[in-house]
Amino acid sequence: MLHTDHLSVAYARKGLALDDVSLSVPAGGIVALLGANGAGKTTLIRAVSGLLPLHHGKILQGMVKLDGHDVTHMSPYQLVSAGMAQVPEGRLVFKQLSVKDNLLVTAAKLPRAQVQERLDAVYALFPQLLERSTQAAGWLSGGEQQMVALGRALILQPRLLLVDELSLGLAPLIVKSIYDQLLVVGETLGSAMLIVEQNARLALKFASSAYVLDRGRITFSGTAQEVANSDQVKESYLGSAKPESARQE
Amino acid sequence: MSDSSRFWRWGLAILGVLILLYLPVLLTERSILGVRLSNMQLLNLGLTQINLMLIAMLGALSLNYLTGMAGLISIGHAAFYATGAMVAAITGSQWGWPFPAVLVSAAAVGALVGVIAGLPSLRVRGLYFVLSTFAMHYIVVFVFQEYQFKFFDVVGVPYPEASISSFVLNTPTRWYFVLLPMVVLVFWGLKNTLSSREGRAMLAMRDHELATTSSGIDVRFLRLKAFALSSAIAAVAGALYAYYLTNVTSEFFGIHFAIQFIAMIIIGGMGSLSGALVGAALWLLLPSIITGFASQGGTDGGLFQQMLVENKSQLVQVIFGSLVIVLLIFAPTGLAGIGRKIQTRFVALWNHP
Repeated sequence: MLHTDHLSVAYARKGLALDDVSLSVPAGGIVALLGANGAGKTTLIRAVSGLLPLHHGKILQGMVKLDGHDVTHMSPYQLVSAGMAQVPEGRLVFKQLSVKDNLLVTAAKLPRAQVQERLDAVYALFPQLLERSTQAAGWLSGGEQQMVALGRALILQPRLLLVDELSLGLAPLIVKSIYDQLLVVGETLGSAMLIVEQNARLALKFASSAYVLDRGRITFSGTAQEVANSDQVKESYLGSAKPESARQE
Repeated sequence: MSDSSRFWRWGLAILGVLILLYLPVLLTERSILGVRLSNMQLLNLGLTQINLMLIAMLGALSLNYLTGMAGLISIGHAAFYATGAMVAAITGSQWGWPFPAVLVSAAAVGALVGVIAGLPSLRVRGLYFVLSTFAMHYIVVFVFQEYQFKFFDVVGVPYPEASISSFVLNTPTRWYFVLLPMVVLVFWGLKNTLSSREGRAMLAMRDHELATTSSGIDVRFLRLKAFALSSAIAAVAGALYAYYLTNVTSEFFGIHFAIQFIAMIIIGGMGSLSGALVGAALWLLLPSIITGFASQGGTDGGLFQQMLVENKSQLVQVIFGSLVIVLLIFAPTGLAGIGRKIQTRFVALWNHP
């Protein structure tokens, strides 16, 4: 469903942030994107979702394809219409708007008759949001804000969901329950997902396949099982028993 | 909602309408039910000040829509006023169009200038954008000045008497009954815009532009639209202002004129439409009230009174400056925020005495 084809990205006056990255997310599949800080995970999400120009980044070569169509230079809002939705890093909820209004902002494109039904579906997934529907989103806890951010994307029932650092600053238990809900969504809606996660162990539990990014390049890819068992990943992200000195290249 | 609170709400609304309808009578007759009132009992106010306040309210409402709701800070509002005044000079004074047509043309050109002024917002943000509106201000005022000197002279641009078909706006009372509905209409219209899908998207854009874009909303288009609407309203206000004063010069629309609108919405409460009304009212009426009190300081010719009378204009400025600072410290949400707090307290008290 989503393919990046030899994608290279650079930010103004800096070196390559992504170097010849090719990956694909199959329809209905959950793909994890792993990597250390600065590996280029978020850049990839930006490139795919059309947000790169807003960050002064540029696609130097390669293309992004959605359902086989070239969407490399589409604007973010057009991509949303094409079926892509995003849970941005750091949640970015609309703090001054109520929870319900947060969800309705994205629902603006839906036919009016459908809005209530979709709203109810999000509330069914995250009952806490119904309880807090009239509160300003800025007053919610981190976990609840993450639910708002997710709900905002899910109300569109996207065919492709991009999730950037869902676990950031959240308690492990909350993260797990949110991921569980994501799995439910994946099963009921059949949405494909590209999940960026620093917590490799967690991501590999939910994903079917994974890519490992290191300094802008894909250094390893395979099924979640293969990635979890690879020495490289074990060493860099899962924390192996090797002594500190052995980790250095 | 309980029956009693609905009763109170309607009662207050009707009372408010009655007061608004009676106000011009009160301020021109200067007596209430035959009982003569002193100047100070009327707070040293006249209907002209009220009318100027209503015109300023249009400007404050439109700026608060742009800055408070869409999150775009502009110091170009004087320029939109000047645009309206200039369009009114061309279509009204020179071509002799009827007054309603003048207002419509002012709105149209104002919207156009607003879109042009908003174009930099597609590329630059924050302070840089503020500077671009600043530059736009000087360009527009320069054009107005050149226009004024080419077709008129230093005295300024004269405007004909405004009339809506046979209803000639030759008294403050008549003006009042044209301006008041306009303010109500603009207030109500903007309020409705905000509860629409587009308004919600605009509030979201103020909170987080990036997240709004990735929520499937074209923020660039939305921004230009906000600019067009806001500047159209401001241009109409500018045309009204010019017609009301019957003569304006380019100097009227200095940077001070632009900043006063920013002050109004800060005092009233950023992002609150009713706050914009309160801010405009304070800005326009308080100087006159302070002046009134200063003149009342006694006739003994004492030092205190002398200081008050001699420094009236400075006193007004000092009080205003202090008010803005105090508000920014204690009520960053403006008077509207204080109002909301009182309301919440009151409702809580009402429900659980």
